[in-house]
Amino acid sequence: MTVGVAVRGLPERAPSVRRGRFYLWLRRRSTIAVMMCFPLLAIITCLVAYPFAYSIYLSMLNKAETAFVGFGNFLFLFKRETFWLVVQQSILFALVAVIFKALIGLIAAHAVNTIPSKGQRKWRGMMMVPWVIPPALSTLGWWWLFEPTYSAFNWLLAEFAVPAVPWLSDVFWARFSVILVNVWVGAPFFLIMYLASLKSIPEDLYEAASIDGASAWQKLFHVTLPMMRNIIAITVLFSIIVTFANFDIVRVLTQGGPRNSTHLFATYAFRVGIESGDIPLGAAVSLFMFPALAILSFVILRNVRQRTVNI
Amino acid sequence: MTNVTRNNGALSALLGSKSNIHVNRRWALFASYACLIVFVIFFLCPPFYMLVTSLKTNAEIANLATNPWLIEQGVTTEHYSHLLTETAFLTYFKNTVIVAFFVVAITMVVSVLAAYALSRLGFWGSGVMATGVFLVYLVPDSLLFIPLFNIVGGLGLLNSYWVLVLVYPTLTVPFCTWIMIGYFASIPKELDEAALIDGANHMQMLLKVFIPVALPGLIAATIFAFTVSWASFLYPLAYIYSDNQMVLTVGTVTTLIKGDVFHWGGLMAGALLAAAPPVILYAFLMDYYIAGLTSGATKG
Amino acid sequence: MAKRERSRRHFLMAAGAAGVATFAMPYIKTARSAGKLLLGTWDHWVPGANEVLRKVCEDWGSANGVEVTVDFITSVGNKLLLTAQAESRAKTGHDIYVQPLWFPSMFRHRLEPVDDVVGDIIAEYGALHPSAKFLAYLDDAWRAAPAPAGSLNYASVSRLDLYEAHAGVDLKTIFPASEARDPALVDSWTYDAFLAAAEKLHAAGKSFGAPIAPTPDGNQWLAALFAAYGAEVVSESVEITVDSDETRTVLEYLSRLTQYMPNSVYAWDDASNNRWLISGEGSTIFNPPSAWAVANRDNPDVAKHVWHHDTPRGSKGRFRADSPFFWGIWDFSENISAAKDLLRYVARRDVVDTLVSASKGFDIPLIISHYQSNDLWAKSEPPHGVLYNYPIRGDEQPVAAGYPAPPEYAAQIMAQGIIPNLVARVTQGGDSFDDAISWAENELEGIMRG
Repeated sequence: MTVGVAVRGLPERAPSVRRGRFYLWLRRRSTIAVMMCFPLLAIITCLVAYPFAYSIYLSMLNKAETAFVGFGNFLFLFKRETFWLVVQQSILFALVAVIFKALIGLIAAHAVNTIPSKGQRKWRGMMMVPWVIPPALSTLGWWWLFEPTYSAFNWLLAEFAVPAVPWLSDVFWARFSVILVNVWVGAPFFLIMYLASLKSIPEDLYEAASIDGASAWQKLFHVTLPMMRNIIAITVLFSIIVTFANFDIVRVLTQGGPRNSTHLFATYAFRVGIESGDIPLGAAVSLFMFPALAILSFVILRNVRQRTVNI
Repeated sequence: MTNVTRNNGALSALLGSKSNIHVNRRWALFASYACLIVFVIFFLCPPFYMLVTSLKTNAEIANLATNPWLIEQGVTTEHYSHLLTETAFLTYFKNTVIVAFFVVAITMVVSVLAAYALSRLGFWGSGVMATGVFLVYLVPDSLLFIPLFNIVGGLGLLNSYWVLVLVYPTLTVPFCTWIMIGYFASIPKELDEAALIDGANHMQMLLKVFIPVALPGLIAATIFAFTVSWASFLYPLAYIYSDNQMVLTVGTVTTLIKGDVFHWGGLMAGALLAAAPPVILYAFLMDYYIAGLTSGATKG
Repeated sequence: MAKRERSRRHFLMAAGAAGVATFAMPYIKTARSAGKLLLGTWDHWVPGANEVLRKVCEDWGSANGVEVTVDFITSVGNKLLLTAQAESRAKTGHDIYVQPLWFPSMFRHRLEPVDDVVGDIIAEYGALHPSAKFLAYLDDAWRAAPAPAGSLNYASVSRLDLYEAHAGVDLKTIFPASEARDPALVDSWTYDAFLAAAEKLHAAGKSFGAPIAPTPDGNQWLAALFAAYGAEVVSESVEITVDSDETRTVLEYLSRLTQYMPNSVYAWDDASNNRWLISGEGSTIFNPPSAWAVANRDNPDVAKHVWHHDTPRGSKGRFRADSPFFWGIWDFSENISAAKDLLRYVARRDVVDTLVSASKGFDIPLIISHYQSNDLWAKSEPPHGVLYNYPIRGDEQPVAAGYPAPPEYAAQIMAQGIIPNLVARVTQGGDSFDDAISWAENELEGIMRG
């Protein structure tokens, strides 16, 4: 596993006649670089790239996996009303959730950074809790809060004479609930990334702005946000990808219901592939977003890299 | 940046008085605390409710007449003791620790080596690769677990927690590599040139110069890897079914939910106990985590 | 190839032996049958049932020189199905794996035929429950044999006190805990009578509750209702037949019934109806006895008024949804002959009786004579005889969501929740019957693809 050992161990084992040339070859930067990257490449090739290629192949088979149908499964999906509902809901889910996560993260990071540094640890710690509890388990807690007969939220609402909210049974509220839980789980990650980035902005930039009489808003828009542009881009990109792939929350809270209105790609693929036994179609559902997300990632990452080089 | 300083020179006369700044500062503090209180209530409400439920008797949980947010019929620790003595919870715990330990170790070795190569030994394709590593997240586990059945079966690892040690790095390595690339990039080039002149090879330089300097980044990456390997749900759900191989996330759910009968008290107790180790870890290492991300992530 | 030959030889051997001998004689150790046997079965909902089953299998193993390991796998989160998918694709795992409801159809190409075992069982103990052949006899072979534990059905579970007080119906007289039924009274228990009662109970604040969501419970009670009015979504000859007057009749009926049900039923899972009954809010649910059993623990005041009884009758008969459980042998098992012997052993009456007791009556044996000869349900309490009518005693016919479509289609109809979604479109979403039915037709076309 550890290439470090191999790199150091190899020269001794090499035949002594060729030792000079081989040793030189080993010392070459690019050789060492490739060897150091080898474990990473091995993991990605064997456990991501190969199964990924295999699932592309799977998505082109018929249901019984006995015949090759090309893009037949995708064309078939395009004719399904439910599939378009899933596409629509996934996009809605990912965009709304990411926007709120980013906003809450930004506001919370600013708030933490504003208060005296003595108290920061405590507040920060409390707000990190959702990120740290395994989501599959915390979602169960949420579910118990939403449970129709026993909902503790509805009990609170009833105390204020507000009618019970059908958290998971009404289309609007079910969508609201799954997004709410996703924001709850994901916002602390934004908070911590933004906080780290806020702390790395040199204090003299703010001092210079203050001397010039910039207001708090002006500092935010002209100092803070431009300095955080890369980190915001990366965090948002990471979050979009992960949110599109979300499985646990919807699976535990609604299983896609009511009337398939909260299905995401992953949960719908699970329903079609595992539960209904149509694995090729399930693979096609999972793969659907890949091209769009790949292009988005490529563009964002290229911009980030260019900016990094310029700075 | 420089725009700000130039354009706002004129404004300084209007806004510059000292008392004004003082008032603004107080308002900012007030607004900050208000936001923080709202967020903390939002973030801590479910864990609080889980804690309350875990300390109630079954009869009280089933009783609709009581206030669900309070314990009215006496505190009980029966759910916790049941969990620890009559279920395989401690086995799950042990397995999770083993898995997390190996995943973190593998992740750190792999990502530190790769990050060093990608940030210092620029070679043909290294730029593309640094970007490409991130794209691994585009292929979600919900797609990969089916084709991985064949690989897992072929290796004879179905229903063994070592399969998790094998596949979890796909979830942790890309992000950790990326943190480390950012961190290594922030280390001044002069440092390694000096070491190279002293005759150090790359391994020595990595071990003696980079790793000590990049310690905060390493800790940040470690914590990330630990959290992910502790919390992952789909892979153990798909690959593990025996009690003696099970890990916490899936194990808590499978022991305590019996089909159409949920043991809510035990479930909440299990969720809280399972969440405790990462919470404690974060409580102690949070400062390093932020410091590590500060240099690593922002330069990335 | 070798494996195939071995199983055929074994089949000939078994066919040659008289069925009686196979069961009565102690199992004779042979070189081939020794070794290991891994059994993956359902993690039972009734506390304590797992341990008894484990002991039964391990005792058989130690008597026959086979090392038996039993894994209990939960059906929560569909883990039971996920593990079956994993093993069938990885071609490794257990030797015997539990096959509830549609599993034999989904995995038929990976399951070793067990015609010899099932033949012996029928020869010895008589007929199996009618659903068994439909579900497990596929492509001219039995793909799985009856499991000794797990088979359940969706009886009506009602509160006797609430029905008496608010609806004026005495369910205990209609469905007594004995054979002394009055056919006229039983006939009077129709879906119309049920609707009238549901209205009165709703007015009294004690509604009927059942999920209208794509969960097993949601699929199953609606399947029984659809069948009672002769409404089917896909016919036996694999034609989409959802667009029918019968479907409209059922949707019409449900539009009325759902007025008297809680609004949250569209998000209910398989546990919600249990909680609904246990909390004391509900008057009727459709469920196996697990709700009653938990009420006994958490809310005994409710439990002592609970009664399990027949479903209402519709214009085309009386139907009860069931979920039979089978055990199948993976074709990659290396110990098929020992596995078959275990399947035979667990069909014995004494073994099944032990396991039924362990499940406190939750399991209903698939071998009819096994449940007819057992008085456990008649003796259950409180109240006395609460489970007597949990095994089918009257004119009910078994059904499962998707029936009468062949299992490979029915499995998908159930998994994708076509029936509950069709109903919810009308009763919750406000779609017209025509719109909802054409939505269902579009979905069903998706299921028909080869």
